[in-house]
Amino acid sequence: MEKLKLNETPVRTSRNFNINNTKLDINFPEKITPFQNLKILNYSNKNYITEKIDKYNLVYGLNKILENQVKENSNKNIKIEIDSKINKDIVLDFEFNNENKTLIDNIEIIANENTKATVIIKYCTECDLEYYHNGIIRALAKENSNLNIIIVNFLNQKSNNFLSIENKCENNANLKYTIIDFGGKNSITNYFSDLTGNSSNNRLDTIYLGKENQFFDLNYIGELRGQKSNINIEVQGALKDESKKHFKGTIDFKKGCKKATGNENEACMLLSDKAKSLALPMLLCSEEEVEGNHSTSSGKVGEKELFYIMSRGFDKNSAIKLLVRANFNKILENIKNEELLEQIVNEINKRLD
Amino acid sequence: MSKTNIDEINRNIYDIKNKDEYDFKIKKGLTPEIIEEISKQKNDPDWMREFRLKALEVYNKLELPTWGPDLSELNMDEIATYVKPKSKLNDSWDDVPEDIKNTFDKLGIPEAEKTSLAGVGAQYDSEVVYHSIKEDLIKQGVIYTDMETAVREYPDLVKEHFMKCVPVYDHKFVALHGAVWSGGSFVYVPKGVKVDIPLQSYFRLNSPESGQFEHTLIIVDEGASLHFIEGCSAPKYNKVNLHAGCVELYVKDNSYLRYSTIENWSKNMLNLNTKKAIVGKNAQVDWVSGSFGSKISMLYPMSILNGEGAKTEFTGISFAGKGQNLDNGFKVVHNNINTSSVVNAKSISKNGGKCTYRSLVRINENAKNSKSSVSCESLMLDDFSISDTIPVNDIRTDEVEFSHEAKIGKIGDKTIFYLMSRGLSEEDAKAMIVRGFAYPISKELPVEYAVEMNNLINLELEGAIG
Amino acid sequence: MQNLLEIKDLYVNAGEKEILKGINLKINKGEIHVIMGPNGSGKTTTANAILNNPSYKKSKGSIIFDKEDITNLKTDEIARKGIFMSFQLPEEIPGVSVTNFLKYAKNKITNKPVKIFEFKDEVKKYMDELKMNPKNMDRSLNVGFSGGEKKKNEILQMLVLNPKLAILDETDSGLDVDAIKTVSKGIEMFKNEENSVLIITHNTKILHSLKPDYVHVLIDGKIVKTGDASLAKEIEENGYESYK
Repeated sequence: MEKLKLNETPVRTSRNFNINNTKLDINFPEKITPFQNLKILNYSNKNYITEKIDKYNLVYGLNKILENQVKENSNKNIKIEIDSKINKDIVLDFEFNNENKTLIDNIEIIANENTKATVIIKYCTECDLEYYHNGIIRALAKENSNLNIIIVNFLNQKSNNFLSIENKCENNANLKYTIIDFGGKNSITNYFSDLTGNSSNNRLDTIYLGKENQFFDLNYIGELRGQKSNINIEVQGALKDESKKHFKGTIDFKKGCKKATGNENEACMLLSDKAKSLALPMLLCSEEEVEGNHSTSSGKVGEKELFYIMSRGFDKNSAIKLLVRANFNKILENIKNEELLEQIVNEINKRLD
Repeated sequence: MSKTNIDEINRNIYDIKNKDEYDFKIKKGLTPEIIEEISKQKNDPDWMREFRLKALEVYNKLELPTWGPDLSELNMDEIATYVKPKSKLNDSWDDVPEDIKNTFDKLGIPEAEKTSLAGVGAQYDSEVVYHSIKEDLIKQGVIYTDMETAVREYPDLVKEHFMKCVPVYDHKFVALHGAVWSGGSFVYVPKGVKVDIPLQSYFRLNSPESGQFEHTLIIVDEGASLHFIEGCSAPKYNKVNLHAGCVELYVKDNSYLRYSTIENWSKNMLNLNTKKAIVGKNAQVDWVSGSFGSKISMLYPMSILNGEGAKTEFTGISFAGKGQNLDNGFKVVHNNINTSSVVNAKSISKNGGKCTYRSLVRINENAKNSKSSVSCESLMLDDFSISDTIPVNDIRTDEVEFSHEAKIGKIGDKTIFYLMSRGLSEEDAKAMIVRGFAYPISKELPVEYAVEMNNLINLELEGAIG
Repeated sequence: MQNLLEIKDLYVNAGEKEILKGINLKINKGEIHVIMGPNGSGKTTTANAILNNPSYKKSKGSIIFDKEDITNLKTDEIARKGIFMSFQLPEEIPGVSVTNFLKYAKNKITNKPVKIFEFKDEVKKYMDELKMNPKNMDRSLNVGFSGGEKKKNEILQMLVLNPKLAILDETDSGLDVDAIKTVSKGIEMFKNEENSVLIITHNTKILHSLKPDYVHVLIDGKIVKTGDASLAKEIEENGYESYK
């Protein structure tokens, strides 16, 4: 076991608030064997090159040890280069099982100028063993590209999930992320977007759903540098049992980002009196002509809504399910892939039972 | 009318420097010997002397904060922590030495005492030089005096409460305060007594390369109510001065306390102040806070809602100009059922100044059916200033209503054009918009202070617009 | 007739785009003028250009007001010369009450101390005529006002500030019949032999109760036709099609 300090916020606040970083005991895998159980759908050779990923230092990342593990010991490298407008979703489907218990993946996605694509990256587990996932996803959205990335974490309740995401958006690029964060004993995500391009646009929509002793630590950072750049972060979550969530969201208006806009909204539904929600939604601003907003809210399911739905014959649990689903719906609309959407909805129902 | 008098106040009044004359100035630095000497000068009882020495030990053990503004320019070896003015404590302004009295005259304190206050305390450097309270309040058992007198005359009350709400190990500058505190006010409002007219203490630091460490201890007993106003200012010097005061408020069951502050320290001041209130059952504490001066300010008043149904409201504004780093905010901990907190924080950054709103809202497991709503608004007046919002929201139970909103922006060109089309110059238009922005705070202040605050905004805005 | 406003060969850009392409207009004291035109023809730009809104850049031409060249004066200086503009979308100013704002503006325009009691009586009289809720006086300027309340508030400001020239930009748009009548009444109260009104509108409702001396048709940044009140009637029936 090693105690790791993870997910430092870009700006520190009082140590007593317990949010500057997260300390976790981690069982590192003893032996890293190749990860075989990956299905890749809808790629052409032109768009897909494996194994060759350039060395790169993350600006933020979860932690140096985890970053180096990916750089030096990854057992899956994937580089996807998008050269055209692709209508079919590119899907990477990782499934952990008895033979594939450890995944250390390094994924790079480059959307070249004027291209368009959707990439779905899915992590699931076959049985109830303790698995280990540590990955880096880097995305570069070049001029006028339109890149849509969907990350789905369906790991079981015993596993560890570590993910560092780093993005760069050039002029007029449109980068959209949807993160479905459901699984893992610990699910720790670092997300950083550098919006250097003028009129670049990044949307990040996340839903998380915690139960039992699950712990989520989300550290989302958007740096606005380009003129008229925009970032929009929307996080909707629900926590039951003794689950716990730390949300750290930073929108940083850097000097020069005239007319940039940034919005951040985080809402947490508490479904048990033992669930805990800690949030730090930061706005940092060194530019005048900008518009920044954030809002967060926490609380239980509204009594009135609950009563209304139950008066239509729903039992309490189904009514809560319905209300949680309703909060998630706007984000679920991002998922155009019907098969995936169905899986997600089933997973929500399963986890809320 | 007092209003017209205050209209004519200009910055020069705050900047009037008296000669650095004192009865006794302790040598610079922090050693057990220096603490012993302060204690001797102040005629402390033994328990207080021991308390000070212990606090110094804690101070030496604690680290500087690892977050917030850079405090590296603060060198305690260059600060004299105790400066005894050439004046004893008086109960008549006529007995206060001429130059000190003139300073307070110009700040409008004796005038306000006549028109709108029920009692006044005035501190000059390390000691209180004037204290008064209206006769009828004394009859009702209200105590309003300087802290030293309280230590002597009400030892049990003081011992029971002194640095219990803010323990010395809270942070490094509280420990420092515990070691070198001097001056400040003590207020006790007995059960059921309502003090309708405000009490005010004014703190003036005149001496260069020194610190002010006043201790304010207020006990509002069950069912009582009080409005307390704190004002502070200092002339500007080239080297840093330090203010590390401590305010402890005990707001007992069913009582009410409003604590208003207009802070206008000079721009060489490091204001590392600590304020905390413990709030009882169905009691309420309201904070109103205007932060204009200081080079660096780190100030996060805190309400601890211990009693069932306890309430707190915080209404604050920070205005940072050139060379200022104002790291202010609010902390609240909900510790019982049906508690509620409302926060309305605003900031204005201009001319390279930095405002940070830093906060904590914690709703603990046992605070079922509690509510908290927080709103922060920041105004950027140019493109080389900084405005950060760093709020922590720690929600540990489900039966709560919590919401937090923040926004950052500038004054819209259209709004300025609209006002100019009504004959206002660009400067007037901006000042009007800023005053309107600050209005939710100024309306919470007694009228004289609201006018003073508006004047400060006008002063602050000069030079902001070019 | 004494000339009050003269616009000579005015060209104005909004951002990159040229909106006004050579406007000429003369308004004498005591006259009511109307500028009509379809959306995007440059009506609001004309009003903003007269008040020299910095978002609109004049590339050519001049504006003479009361024998003085005001082309490049600052907006507040122009306002103090005696030009008032009623905004299509009045700005909201939180924390500044209507009373305080009016008092402050009156003081700036007249450059004289405002006598509180006279001022209050005057404001109250106008508010009664405009059927305004007296409670609005203590509310923040335009904050949370309905569309109609905002427009009436603009007319109130016009009456209190008593300019030589009032420019009413789409003051009638979005108002119901009763509100239009009230607004017209406000304009009638204001109007006399010494001052002038320039009404900018894209419909003709307000002209049923006000009698304009001149009607100008503005199409694509140019005045294409000038006539008397009958021109407004003709446009009401036939639209702008024949002028495009």
